Amino acid sequence: MTAPQETPRRLDTRYAAETPEGISLALRPAGVVPRFYAYIVDLGVRLVVFIGATIFLAQLGRFGGGLMLLLLFLLEWLYPVVFELGPGAATPGKRMVGLAVVMDSGLPVTPAASLTRNLLRAADLLPSFYALGALAMLWRHDFKRIGDLAAGTLVVHIDRSGTHGAAPPPAPARAPAVPLPAAAQAAIVAWAGRVPRLTEARADELAEIAVAVVAPRALRGDRVAALIGVAHWLLGRR
Amino acid sequence: MTPLQFEAAHSAAWNELEAALGALPKGRRAAPADRARIATLYRAACEHLALAEARAYPVWLIERLEALTARGHQRIYRESDFGIDKLRRLFLVDFPAAVRSHWRHVLIAFIAFAAPLVVTGVAAYADPGFVLSVHDARAVDEYEKMYGDVDGPLGRRSAGSDWEAFGFYVYNNVRIAFQCFAGGLLFGVGSLFFLVANGTMAGSIAGYVTWRGFGPNFYSFVVTHSAFELTGIVLAGASGLILGGALLAPGRRSRLAALADAARRAIVIVYGMTAMFLVAAVIEAFWSSARWVPPDAKFAVGGLCWVAVLAYFALQGRSRAAAATPS
Repeated sequence: MTAPQETPRRLDTRYAAETPEGISLALRPAGVVPRFYAYIVDLGVRLVVFIGATIFLAQLGRFGGGLMLLLLFLLEWLYPVVFELGPGAATPGKRMVGLAVVMDSGLPVTPAASLTRNLLRAADLLPSFYALGALAMLWRHDFKRIGDLAAGTLVVHIDRSGTHGAAPPPAPARAPAVPLPAAAQAAIVAWAGRVPRLTEARADELAEIAVAVVAPRALRGDRVAALIGVAHWLLGRR
Repeated sequence: MTPLQFEAAHSAAWNELEAALGALPKGRRAAPADRARIATLYRAACEHLALAEARAYPVWLIERLEALTARGHQRIYRESDFGIDKLRRLFLVDFPAAVRSHWRHVLIAFIAFAAPLVVTGVAAYADPGFVLSVHDARAVDEYEKMYGDVDGPLGRRSAGSDWEAFGFYVYNNVRIAFQCFAGGLLFGVGSLFFLVANGTMAGSIAGYVTWRGFGPNFYSFVVTHSAFELTGIVLAGASGLILGGALLAPGRRSRLAALADAARRAIVIVYGMTAMFLVAAVIEAFWSSARWVPPDAKFAVGGLCWVAVLAYFALQGRSRAAAATPS
C-alpha cells in the first residue's frame, strides 16, 4: 500500500519528502514533456511582452532602446525567479500545465534556490536546445535538471490524480468469513472503489480470487456484489 | 476503529483546517490566534495521516489527509523574512565575508584573469601588430575611434545615448557574468575560459591604445567603473570555480551533495557581483564616457572607488561575521 517499506522498488516516480512531523509528503516530480510545454508557454508570454513593449518603447527613441535592453535582460534571467517566488511558485507556463517549484525537502522554494536554478539554466542550455538539461532529467527518477541539482529544487505536479480511491458503490454489507490482515483489507476496499471503472468481466475475475477466501458461500452467486459488501463491512457499515 | 468511525470522529477538524488554509490568500498573514490554531490542527492531521497509513485505511482517506497536510506544510514553513533586513545583512556582512572565506577561488580567478591581461597588454604595447591576432582589424579601428580625440562620448562604438549604453552594459555584461558562473558546472573550465578570454581581450586593447598614445583618454575612461567591473569579473569567475571545485574535489561527500552545498555558498557571491556589475554599468554609462569631466577628476574619483572596493572586501563585516559563525 502506501507505506514505502513494503514496496522497496517502486515503478512510479512518486517522491517522498519527510517532514519534521514524521509524515512523508508524496510529491510527484514532473518529467520532460510537461516541462517542455510549460517552457513553450513561457517563451510565448515573454515574446508577447517583449514585442508589446518594443512597440511602445520605439516611440521613446534612444532612451527607449536602453529600456528595451534592460527589459530583455529581465525577461531572460529574472522572469522565472519573480514568478517562482510569488504565490503559486510557478511561472505562467508552469501554472498552466499544473506544475510548481518546491525544495526537494517539500518546503516552499527559497529566493537563493530559485535564483540558483535559473542562473544555472545557462549550463542546462548547453550545447544547444537544453540538451544537457534534458539528459540530466531523463537520467534521474526525480527529473532534476542540473540547475535543480545544484539548487536542491524539484518541479512537481500540483494537481492530484483523482483516479484512485473512490468510495465503493452501494451493496449490502457482509462480514468476511475469516479475519483479514490490514493489507488484505486495504486491497479489497481499493478494489471496490475501482469497480465502476472496470469491465464486469475483469471485476468478476479479480473478485473471484478474494471471494474464495472471504466469502466462500458466495462463490457461485454474484461475486462482485459479495466482495463489495465485504468492503462496506470493512469500512464500518455493519 | 473502522475507517468510517475514524473519518466521522475527525472530519470536523479536517474541515476546519481546510477552511482555514483556504480562507487566507497566500502571503497574507493570519492573526496570531489563527496561526496557533492552524498549527494545532496541522499537527493533528499529520498524526491522523500516520495512523491512517499504519492501519491501511482506504485510499480516499489517505489522499485527503495527504493533500491537507501538504497544503498545511507549505503554509506553515513558508519563509517570510526576505525583506530589507536580509538585504542589508547581505551587503554589510554576508557578501564580503563569503568573498574572504573563498579567497583561494578568488585568487585563482584573479590569476586567470590578470595574467593574460598583463601579458597581452605588454605584448600589444611592445608589438602593435599583436593586437590583430586577438581582435580583427575593424574592431581595432573602432577602438581607435572610441578612445581617440574625436567628438562624442568616450568609449562608445556609436554615438548612442547614455541610457542606450546603460541598457547594453546591463544586458551584455551581467549576462556574461551569469554565464561565467554557470560555466563552473563544466568542472570549472567554463569559468576559466571566460576569465582568460576577457583578460586577453581587455589586455590587448589596453596595450594597443596606450601605444597609440590614447592612454589618458583610455585610462580616465576605465578607471572608475573598472573598480567594480574588473572585481566583478573576478568574483563571477570565483563563484563558478566554487561550483567547479566542488565537482572536482567533493571531499568525503557525493559530488551532488558537494555541488548543492557549493551552490548555496556561491550564490551569495553571485548576488554581490550582480550588484557590482549594475553599479559599474551606471558609472560606465553616465560618468566614464563624459568628456566634460576633466581626466584628473576621473582619476581622483576612480582611485577613491578602488580604495573603497578593496577596503570593503578586506574589512567590511569582519567582526559581525566572526560573531555569527563561532568556529
